[in-house]
Amino acid sequence: MRYRVFFTLLLLLGLNSCVEKLNFDQYDELEITPTVEASILYVESPERIINESPGQNFYSQVFNFDAFSEDAFADRVLDGYMFYEIENTTSKELEATVEFLDEQGNVLDDQYFHIDPAPTPLTQIQVAYGTGSGKSIEIIKNTSGIRINVQNLGDNSSVSNLPDPKIIFRSSGKFRLRLK
Amino acid sequence: MRNCKLILLAWFLGCSFMVGQNKQILYDFTEIPQALMVNPGMSTDFQWFAGIPALSGISVQAGSSGLSVSDLFADDGLDFNTKVRDRAIYGMSPRDELSGTYQVELLSGGFRGKNPDNFYSFGIYSEGDAIGYWLKDYAILAFEGNADQLDRKFDISHLSTRGEMVNVFHFGLNKRVDNKWTLGARAKLYSSVFNFSSTRNKGYFVTTEGQNNIFANTLNADLELRSSGVNEIEDALDNDSSLLPGIITKRMFFGGDLGVGLDLGFTYKLNKQTVITGSVLDLGFVYSSTDVKNFTVKGSATVEGIEVILPDAFSNSNTDFWQDLVDEVDALVPHGTNNNSYIYFRPTKLYGSIRYNFGKITKTNMDCDCNYMVSKRRDYTKYANGLGGQLYVINRPKGPQAALTAFYLHRFGRALALKGTYTVDKFSFSNVGLGLNIQAGPVNIYAMADNLLAYSNLADTHYSSFQIGLNIISWGKK
Repeated sequence: MRYRVFFTLLLLLGLNSCVEKLNFDQYDELEITPTVEASILYVESPERIINESPGQNFYSQVFNFDAFSEDAFADRVLDGYMFYEIENTTSKELEATVEFLDEQGNVLDDQYFHIDPAPTPLTQIQVAYGTGSGKSIEIIKNTSGIRINVQNLGDNSSVSNLPDPKIIFRSSGKFRLRLK
Repeated sequence: MRNCKLILLAWFLGCSFMVGQNKQILYDFTEIPQALMVNPGMSTDFQWFAGIPALSGISVQAGSSGLSVSDLFADDGLDFNTKVRDRAIYGMSPRDELSGTYQVELLSGGFRGKNPDNFYSFGIYSEGDAIGYWLKDYAILAFEGNADQLDRKFDISHLSTRGEMVNVFHFGLNKRVDNKWTLGARAKLYSSVFNFSSTRNKGYFVTTEGQNNIFANTLNADLELRSSGVNEIEDALDNDSSLLPGIITKRMFFGGDLGVGLDLGFTYKLNKQTVITGSVLDLGFVYSSTDVKNFTVKGSATVEGIEVILPDAFSNSNTDFWQDLVDEVDALVPHGTNNNSYIYFRPTKLYGSIRYNFGKITKTNMDCDCNYMVSKRRDYTKYANGLGGQLYVINRPKGPQAALTAFYLHRFGRALALKGTYTVDKFSFSNVGLGLNIQAGPVNIYAMADNLLAYSNLADTHYSSFQIGLNIISWGKK
């Protein structure tokens, strides 16, 4: 008799075992879209070097930059921003151009900066890519080089009275990626 | 909506299974020969037993301490991404784990020696075990990225995992020393199929304000993932899965990495009715030298992008600054693979218990001609009831993990015994388990399951385990 009670209880427990309705299709809705940011390029020059450079074209350099065109990035990037920051403590009026180049050296995009002589506030520019009003994200995906041109619009002799006068160019990128 | 049929089927198939790691129901369940596997020093009165090959002991356990299936996949109309973010990404801690084990006895047997105080047991079982802790900071980094997380250190040590499949050959001696003491020891030979572990990682990834440029990204890493036996299996799965049974079978029977281990246990009668027991299992190691592949990352680097400082940069204007940066990081944080052999230790387990026996004394000599019911241990007294507590501790990658169990055991004569348990551990505070042992003539069948309250909604459980077995037992004269 005791056994019957016991096995009946076990059976009842089994019958009472249930599972809530699940929907594993929800996994398809999962979106993994982290936003990553990192510095891109930093260029610094003391005013002394600007003075020593003859003519107006003070600095021009093409940098290989494969980070954007790497598959791991290019296949996943959705949108983002480039940030530029220029600090000028020299006595020179300057203008700078940043150009994004593809593998063949074609210019995909450019950004122009006019920099007043010191004292002048920090120049900060944000450029959007892939967002509604921004430039095409394809520019970023196809970029494999960056060209920097800096023109000295001032003289080659004046020296700023600020300590350690320099022109400093900073840049960073902030991009959203789709991992799933 | 509820799917009762499915669960009913699952229950009948497996409700009696139990345990995988913590075998709290099986422990000191002296009617069951397999209880010797969790305490070789268990007080026992078998004359001999023979496990039915591959059926004498099957156990499976799965646990997720932080999240249940229902937490994510319940059809509750909530946004799935919000559930993942709130309940998994930020809801779980790095100490939360997902783990699973299985054990299948391939061969099992035991016999009493010429000296009736000695009982010998032997066998072969296959065991698999894996644990992975929640990669919290990796998950946050993957979901959110490092943007707008200035000065936040993403902890690399959150990667902590280990797993293995091993075949164990064992031989044990259980010796009744006197009326108070029973001691036991079991020697083990491990034949490893595969193993992986990554448990001693250190370091972080952080984005800070740059010294020169806008941001600085710093990686400080000391990370290692060791594996043996995995690559050949992976290749077979990718290219020719028909090779897989051969590879696994060969390694299960001494064709792979080997190791040795030891189990120890005791039973001590404090008085006529009170018993304390203890055991330590898998004090052992495996030497991994077959098909070894280790991945390492070690070093520290801070990157602020390409840096050009004039006039120094004029002298190397043709330099590939990007490649230099990549090479510099590679040099500062070297990463690669090696085939260095290594030793890994098995997850050691510790059990302890105290039991108070009371009630009617079960006859050890049965009134029948059936010789399998007659014990040679004249001192071996079994009471109808047993009440007590148990402690279980296992050595895990992030330190010891403990469980406390209260139990009640009731014997219905020789034919039926039940053990109910209540266990508190990191998975659950409401783990109620039940074990059943049936002796039908010489045939012994046992079935166990725990966390029974969770059966009202299996999808919402954090832990589930079962165990079954089938043996032929004799207490008779030889």
